[in-house]
Amino acid sequence: MLTRKEDKKVIIIGGGPAGLTAAYELNKSGIRSEVFEKDDIVGGISRTVNYKGYRFDIGGHRFFTKVKVVQDMWDEVLRKDFLLRDRLSRIYYRKKFFNYPFEVKNAVFGLGIFNSLLIVLSYLRAQVIPIRPENTFEQWIINRFGYRLYKIFFKTYTEKVWGIPCSEISSEWAAQRIKGLSLFSALKNALLKKPPADKNVIKTLINSFHYPKLGPGMMWEKVREIVEEGLCRVHMNSGIEKIYWHNDAVLAVETCKDRTTTRISGTDFISSMPIRELIAKLEPLPPSEILKAGDKLNYRDFITVSLIIDKKTIFEDNWIYIHDPNVKVGRIQNFKNWSPYMVPDPEKTSLGMEYFCFENDEFWSMSNENLVDLAKNELEKLGFAKKSEIIDGTVVRMPKAYPVYDEEYKKALEQIKEFLGKISNLQLVGRNGMHKYNNQDHSMLTSMLAVKNILGGHFDLWKVNADQDYHEEIKENEQLDKQLSDLSSTQPLIPSAFAMKKSSGSLIEKAIIRVFSRLDKFAFAVAVGTASFLFLFLATIFLEFKGDQNIVQSMLLLNNYFVGYDISIKGAFIGGGYCFLWGFISGWLFAYIRNLSLGFVIYKEKKKLENQSLKDLLDYI
Amino acid sequence: MNELNEDEEKRLLTEAVKLDATVFGLILGLIIGLIIFIATNWLIIAGGHVGPGGEVIIGPHLELLGQFFIGYKVSFVGSIIGFVYGFAAGSIFGTLISWVYNKIIYLRNTNNK
Repeated sequence: MLTRKEDKKVIIIGGGPAGLTAAYELNKSGIRSEVFEKDDIVGGISRTVNYKGYRFDIGGHRFFTKVKVVQDMWDEVLRKDFLLRDRLSRIYYRKKFFNYPFEVKNAVFGLGIFNSLLIVLSYLRAQVIPIRPENTFEQWIINRFGYRLYKIFFKTYTEKVWGIPCSEISSEWAAQRIKGLSLFSALKNALLKKPPADKNVIKTLINSFHYPKLGPGMMWEKVREIVEEGLCRVHMNSGIEKIYWHNDAVLAVETCKDRTTTRISGTDFISSMPIRELIAKLEPLPPSEILKAGDKLNYRDFITVSLIIDKKTIFEDNWIYIHDPNVKVGRIQNFKNWSPYMVPDPEKTSLGMEYFCFENDEFWSMSNENLVDLAKNELEKLGFAKKSEIIDGTVVRMPKAYPVYDEEYKKALEQIKEFLGKISNLQLVGRNGMHKYNNQDHSMLTSMLAVKNILGGHFDLWKVNADQDYHEEIKENEQLDKQLSDLSSTQPLIPSAFAMKKSSGSLIEKAIIRVFSRLDKFAFAVAVGTASFLFLFLATIFLEFKGDQNIVQSMLLLNNYFVGYDISIKGAFIGGGYCFLWGFISGWLFAYIRNLSLGFVIYKEKKKLENQSLKDLLDYI
Repeated sequence: MNELNEDEEKRLLTEAVKLDATVFGLILGLIIGLIIFIATNWLIIAGGHVGPGGEVIIGPHLELLGQFFIGYKVSFVGSIIGFVYGFAAGSIFGTLISWVYNKIIYLRNTNNK
């Protein structure tokens, strides 16, 4: 293995956020790289399409992250072109807007008191009689929101996005949102979370986001410029045809541009191309079971019909979710609300009508004219604009926009991971590169860690975005080294590292376990009973020998409760026995109530954390 | 991180808490000591009643504690003496409870293994 930076040359497949982040980090580290992008535009799904001066985002990409290294890169590249924008995204249902995340007042006003009452009742029913077992997405949502909220706010939209009934989507996919929210982490979060110095900071993070002045594509165009001025070459329209490997290492890739194929070798390889394609392009081909596993990875594809409307304002939102089952559009982006610079004429509005489909299905195969026509009709049907007001439109098709988490993907992905894991100089990054529903920041982070690995690190990229805690670990204002050391939790566990990790966090964790573990009812009851027995037994024996009549008379009052008790050796045993019994009962009750109270505290904290986590669930569908 | 949390969650849900005999003893000692201290001073502030011999009687029942706690009387100095006795008795009581409790937990865990 080559160790000198100068001897390294990294081949990066894909010029999306993941690929270009890798190029950027390599450039900063003084390592040569070559990026191969099959399209004529960089940015992947985060590109910005320019149509007659109107800029369209493929999907809408909020630049929002809790990972400081990612935020730093955005700031570093975009500088003054990085705008802070207010976020407004609502649900459009029955020609009414509903705030999202949900607000009680707004929902009651929009749905009416009767419907709201039914929603509350169905929610309560779900809480009292949850569906068990919880296998499907439908059951998962119903158990948390109730059937009526599910039907109104989740069913239609989810089915539009994924193209399959909610009753056929695995609950595991949704459960990922609250994965890691264990009782323990809920408690830890409740106990250790420092109150924000300024509550507005939190509010700001929820209600606003950063966005490049000219759309997300601006970020990746700038990154391209920066890396090309350095040690990187970005090849456009250069799809990868073959990936040559031998003896558990990739040797070279074969790229095709203008019907000319070129073989390019490298020392390290980073791939953000869809895994299914990567597998099929390996030369020699991998075993047939791996190829079959690759075929089991499915993708959801995406069409944006961009319409230019001769209206200054249509709605105030950045985007709206369309829950109306009578139209096919799933989401509508209003690009000038993302950035006013996205439209050349402020008197006009450009909307992105987003349709979800499968590559080569009937919808995907529709002609651009028909798609524009459909979008115009649906916009009119929804009541946002008259057809006559729509002055132009175009279509952008985005294949493999979302990796599908169906029944087969997990096993197939594990097989592929195991096989590709043996290829030492190949790292998979990004959303499609890992068949993982990563957001832009996580895709970028996988690349940053991949570069760290090339420089000698041992980060497990598959752990990025694997658990909820991960997000929380990347604190603001921490130094890069500290953050990366925090990220050591994403590295494979080895005995020494595991021991270090265990001991470093052990004080607080031990304390939490010590305080919140259950008090053994029986043991505590016996202990209190025994101590009580001894207390009265010794007091009685003491008086028996002392023989002071004043106190004896007073003590004898006890036999009103402890029948048979007197100041004698026998009485001491009888009284002690009674005391043991009452001590036992009191101790048991104390332990029971204490456990119940703490259990309630833990449950409440977990629910709170779960609800916080589910607030933006629609954003992740 | 998750693996760690799972391990901790398992411990949180299955392990029985162990009582720190010293801390538990001190807390119980402090509580009982304070109860005697406050109860004594409360009676002094509330005042007593005049007995048949014209003497003022304050807290005759609490005074009986003096049978066990030699030197204790219902007076301010007595409340301090009572606090010390109460603290000592409570500490012993608490330590005893913790010791018995931890012993049972230990025996149970040993048997389960």
